[in-house]
Amino acid sequence: MNYRTFVTAQSLLMTASSMVFPFYLLLIRNIGDSYSQFGLAYGLFALTGALVHPIIGRLSDRLGDRTFILVHTWGMAGIMLIIPIIETVTALYLVQIVMGILGAVQKTSEKTVLARQSNGVQAGKKIGSYHLWTSVWGAIAVMLTGYLIDFLTIGSLFYIASILYLISSFLILKSAAVPFRVQRKKPVQL
Amino acid sequence: MKGKYLLIGISLYGIAFYTSTSIHSLQQKTVVIEDVGKLLPTRMKEVKSTQSTEELQNWVRKEKTISIAGLQHSQGGHTVYPNGTLLDMKSYNEILNFNPKEKTITVQSGVTWADIQKKINPYGLSIQVMQSQNIFTVGGALSVNVHGRDIRYGSLIDTVDSFRLLKPDGEIISVSRDENSEYFSYVIGGYGLFGVILDVTLQLAEDELYEQRISTMDYKAYEEHFKSNVQNDEQVKMHLARLSVAPKTFLKEMYVTDYVLADDQKKLTRFSTLNEEEKVALPKFMLGMSRYSDWGKDVFWETQKKHFQNSNGSYQSRNNVMRSDSTFMEYENANRTEVLQEYFVPVDEFASYIDDLRKVLEKEDLNLLNITIRYVEHDEDAVLSYAKDDMFALVLLINQGRSQKEIRRTEKIIQKMIDVTLDHDGSYYLPYYSYPTKKQLKQAYPRIDEFFQKKRELDPDERFKNLFYEVYAQ
Ligand SMILES: Cc1cc2nc3c(=O)[nH]c(=O)nc-3n(C[C@H](O)[C@H](O)[C@H](O)COP(=O)(O)OP(=O)(O)OC[C@H]3O[C@@H](n4cnc5c(N)ncnc54)[C@H](O)[C@@H]3O)c2cc1C
Repeated sequence: MNYRTFVTAQSLLMTASSMVFPFYLLLIRNIGDSYSQFGLAYGLFALTGALVHPIIGRLSDRLGDRTFILVHTWGMAGIMLIIPIIETVTALYLVQIVMGILGAVQKTSEKTVLARQSNGVQAGKKIGSYHLWTSVWGAIAVMLTGYLIDFLTIGSLFYIASILYLISSFLILKSAAVPFRVQRKKPVQL
Repeated sequence: MKGKYLLIGISLYGIAFYTSTSIHSLQQKTVVIEDVGKLLPTRMKEVKSTQSTEELQNWVRKEKTISIAGLQHSQGGHTVYPNGTLLDMKSYNEILNFNPKEKTITVQSGVTWADIQKKINPYGLSIQVMQSQNIFTVGGALSVNVHGRDIRYGSLIDTVDSFRLLKPDGEIISVSRDENSEYFSYVIGGYGLFGVILDVTLQLAEDELYEQRISTMDYKAYEEHFKSNVQNDEQVKMHLARLSVAPKTFLKEMYVTDYVLADDQKKLTRFSTLNEEEKVALPKFMLGMSRYSDWGKDVFWETQKKHFQNSNGSYQSRNNVMRSDSTFMEYENANRTEVLQEYFVPVDEFASYIDDLRKVLEKEDLNLLNITIRYVEHDEDAVLSYAKDDMFALVLLINQGRSQKEIRRTEKIIQKMIDVTLDHDGSYYLPYYSYPTKKQLKQAYPRIDEFFQKKRELDPDERFKNLFYEVYAQ
């Protein structure tokens, strides 16, 4: 997986997640219909994320970044199909837990890939450009959605996001896979 | 190998995508509706509302399952049915004819008491029978056959001259005691099961000036007070009492408001402007405190009592007595709600009934916030009549959780209270949550089978349905 593909794929999924984020908050608020349930739903997400990080980190060393990014993108593509039809608080809590795990997967793989991109020489530059592009896309997505929402239903936003996640995963799939053996031997890929 | 997995993945995604979008579009087509009880959110096909009688007629002919709704202050799903069409009558609200000389008014059923009061107050007229508040529709009030503070005009059914009914087959008929009379006593107190009440002609009363007479007493003295100072004193026109739910005086202390016809009726004009402003902040705060603690309940009771004692001797017009505050009771909480119960007991049974009720409640953990008492005169005109005798009507305001567990918990206590009520030859009011068992319903309303039978006879396709019917008629 080369750096460009990685950044493009990440920008895409950033676009997807920024696009739905505000509406997702709205949805949690509506289903939960109290701030305490809102808090619980959100807390569940953060807490599962926190708790699984050590495990995910270790797994990542065993399974490789690419697998992880694929898990995240496919997983999120699936979750985006569930969110529009959620009706009960319990379902919402479950989704929050799964998203907590998927979020941890994303956070970890994003960093491990970045770490492999240089042998320490230009790490700052690479990370800088990575954040530039992914954040720019995120920002553009939020603004565009602001306009689009007049023409689309909130439900269809989630479906679009799901497809974006899928495309992102295809990009990764298409990119040359560095066999895990190789990654282990030569962790830094220039 | 890799291609195969990819293919499986994409197919699964495709199926999931299709399923999700179809469910979503189905959900979008329907709406979730709930009444003020907030315990029965129900998914319905759609909400329809109109000002045109013809359109209503078309809908009734076309739609398979219909529930009728006024302001949805009933609390047992009386206005909803899964996948049914909701006829929202609120905008069907014209005042069709007002005849001050004859003292009658004809209104469409979505009109509220507040609308009528505004119209008739300038003519010195008033409503004969309605609830204690004016926030309800006439159609909703008729369908549960309400009662209120007035003690001289009976139940609402006694004040109805006639109405027009849109039957399940789409035909419109006039109903009165002489015309299509078989409908009269079923539709009034009929919970929207026999058709749509279109417009109603009601008898009006004169607006009058009342002097408030407040007395504090022990519950044992109440029956005697009522019989000699209220029932037998023709000058007393309205009546209302409160029974303490504060721990220090629980179900013992009472204060009573009698509305006595003022000697000098000429002063009426000074008091006849309709009260528009509600005092919300203080009562809301007090009620809020009493929700959370026994201490709050004691403070609320004492403050309320003092407030009412201070109004002893003050004057109020009949119309203003009939538009008491309700905004302060509004309660927004995601996990909890406030529900009403109303029990009727014969006047003679009052003290012993309260003793038995206290025995039950002292053992239970029920967050009881308020009890008001009114009087209903013996009246069995409606098939589902609750006034099998001259009765006191006790309204209980209960704060409870909305989870299934909490509902079951409240149900157990309420069923016990209803057993006590039935033991004292009482009955209970039907527009609230379906806590009572079928057996209790049958005991309180001996004609209930006849009622449901007639319903099936007059609406053989069961076009008009609601959750009350669903729970009790099956
Ligand atoms: C805070 C509060 C205070 C109350 N105080 C009193 C009181 O003092 N005295 C008293 O007697 N009751 C009282 N009630 C009960 C109240 O009177 C009933 O719930 C009444 O039905 C509410 O009127 P609504 O317009 O909200 O009717 P809804 O709740 O909308 O409807 C009630 C029933 O009437 C039917 N219906 C409505 N409109 C029509 C129509 N046009 N044609 C045919 N059927 C129709 C519905 O299908 C339903 O079965 C009180 C309730 C609350 C919540």
